Amino acid sequence: MSGMRTSKIGTIWFVIFVAGLAALPFINDSRSFLILMTQICIFAVFAMSYDILLGFTGIVSFGHCMFFGIGAYTSGVMLDRLDASIGTLLLSVLVGVLLSALLSYIVGMLSLRLKSHFYAMLTLAFSGLLLVLAEKWRSLTNGNDGFTFPIPSVMKDRTVLYFTALAVMVVMFLLLRRFTQSPVGRVLLAIRENEQRTESLGYEIVHYKVFATVVAGMAASISGSLYVLTLRFVNTTVFGMDMTLNALLMTIIGGVGTLFGAIIGASIIEWAHHGLSELAKFHPIFERWIIFFGLLYIVVVLLFPAGIVGTLRLWWLKRRGRRLEQSLQADSNAIRKEGAG
Amino acid sequence: MNGIINLLVNGLATGMLIFLLASGLTLIFGLMSVLNFAHGGLFAWGAYGGVWLYAATGSFFVAILGAVVIGMLLGLVLERLVIRPVYGNHIQQILVTLGAMLVLSELLKVVFGPNPLKADVPPLLNGSWEVEGVILIKYRLFIICIGAIVFAGLLFVLKRTKIGLIVRAGVMNPEMVQALGIPIRRVFTLVFMAGAGLAALGGALLAPYSGVIFAEMGMQFAILAFIVVVIGGMGSIQGSAFAALLVGLSGAFMAYYVPELSLAANMLLMVIVLLIKPSGLFGAKG
Repeated sequence: MSGMRTSKIGTIWFVIFVAGLAALPFINDSRSFLILMTQICIFAVFAMSYDILLGFTGIVSFGHCMFFGIGAYTSGVMLDRLDASIGTLLLSVLVGVLLSALLSYIVGMLSLRLKSHFYAMLTLAFSGLLLVLAEKWRSLTNGNDGFTFPIPSVMKDRTVLYFTALAVMVVMFLLLRRFTQSPVGRVLLAIRENEQRTESLGYEIVHYKVFATVVAGMAASISGSLYVLTLRFVNTTVFGMDMTLNALLMTIIGGVGTLFGAIIGASIIEWAHHGLSELAKFHPIFERWIIFFGLLYIVVVLLFPAGIVGTLRLWWLKRRGRRLEQSLQADSNAIRKEGAG
Repeated sequence: MNGIINLLVNGLATGMLIFLLASGLTLIFGLMSVLNFAHGGLFAWGAYGGVWLYAATGSFFVAILGAVVIGMLLGLVLERLVIRPVYGNHIQQILVTLGAMLVLSELLKVVFGPNPLKADVPPLLNGSWEVEGVILIKYRLFIICIGAIVFAGLLFVLKRTKIGLIVRAGVMNPEMVQALGIPIRRVFTLVFMAGAGLAALGGALLAPYSGVIFAEMGMQFAILAFIVVVIGGMGSIQGSAFAALLVGLSGAFMAYYVPELSLAANMLLMVIVLLIKPSGLFGAKG
């Protein structure tokens, strides 16, 4: 009963949250602000896709950027080579998603039978390979320099782009949440909690894990496509370690296993990145802003493994639990008094 | 003929450097089942430390020694502060060591500046010998010698000494070793420091070899080391030595004949090993 009530309250809060985000362009329509908010929405999708792996299945990937990059390059190349229409854009997103699904399936099948370390190492190596590929395949990617490409004329408007990104974020949030609450999602949670036990209950865990990585890869590819759409430019940075680190930082700091934490994390990291880059004018240490996040990240992993959203949720549950305990205590006291009387 | 011998020497030298990195990784993994993603950071610190000390003291020997000490001290700090709190939790370990990697390589940029540094070969090892028309570069032979000495030394320590016995027993069953009254945690720290020192040694030796060093090189070499550890089998020193030479040689030959596929060839090797023998060529546990 109370579970249903909280989920209803959660829905109301979520609607308010989305409505607030949708109202933003009407409150503050400065260009840089809109660009920042668009980036946040895009990285929120990327971080949510990572959360499916880390938070909901307990798989660590150090090469999540490869799916982001596949989406990015697929959209870039197709918009450049074919025509810059909405149809091409949608087709390129679809192609990127399919390519990512294929690659994540291969990587997953190779390494997920083994200990968790192997997936982390293998994804790291594969993303390294894709980075080299993007550098060397100059006829397609123009190497390190990258290339600019035309985008559908509707998308040139910053506000339209922002609403697109916001809509994608909301849809992806709902879809991924639905996925985590599906029977498959429940099995994934079980794998995260106790792999041996899930296996002995008769689940073929490798298949479930591979399924999770494919879903995460597809979602990451979509965010990559959107990302280059905002830049109208793509180069090898989309395959860089920094992209994976972004996803890691956002998910971990925001809170793993919550999806919403990924959105919070993306907002914090992007805002802070923006702010700290500004501060670099005053002291060069702020150019190395990533170092603060590295330290913060270590502290969060060591001391608050649940992240911001998870820690708040735990605290909230504990408080409610205590209140429940108090009321139970009061009840039992009353009963005892009645018995005595 | 000259070309092939040169490629062979190149490959062996690179392989030895990767071995120095991978041997620490594999030892640490074998004993404590911690996969240290910060290992590349220690490697890069070794390279920077070596170059800096060489410029400051003018003695290559001091530079190498100093780099190893820097690596071991960093290893000590890492183990105590970051890894010790999360023993037994694989996911947290993997995550936290990557964070340490991030901080280590960013710190390099803070201390030494973000631009790549030039590294010189010491005059004694500069130049080459010519043997019957084949040109052998001294420094590369030097790396191969050092690598072989380290390999022999590691095997000797592991197979013939008391501490090696404890480490090997710890790889098999750490709880049992502790139950026999040996402070296994102290052994963990020691092995971690040794692994960190080896990584730093690799970095310090690499610097004059490649001529230029930069903060990101840690990650590049770490990827090769991971490939080596997967191919050779986690926890096996002989396995990583064999796989490191294999990867070094295939890298050198591929880089000469089809440079685009250099990394791809190593990845392919790894994929084949994973498909046929997932625990690695010499590995017992998967």
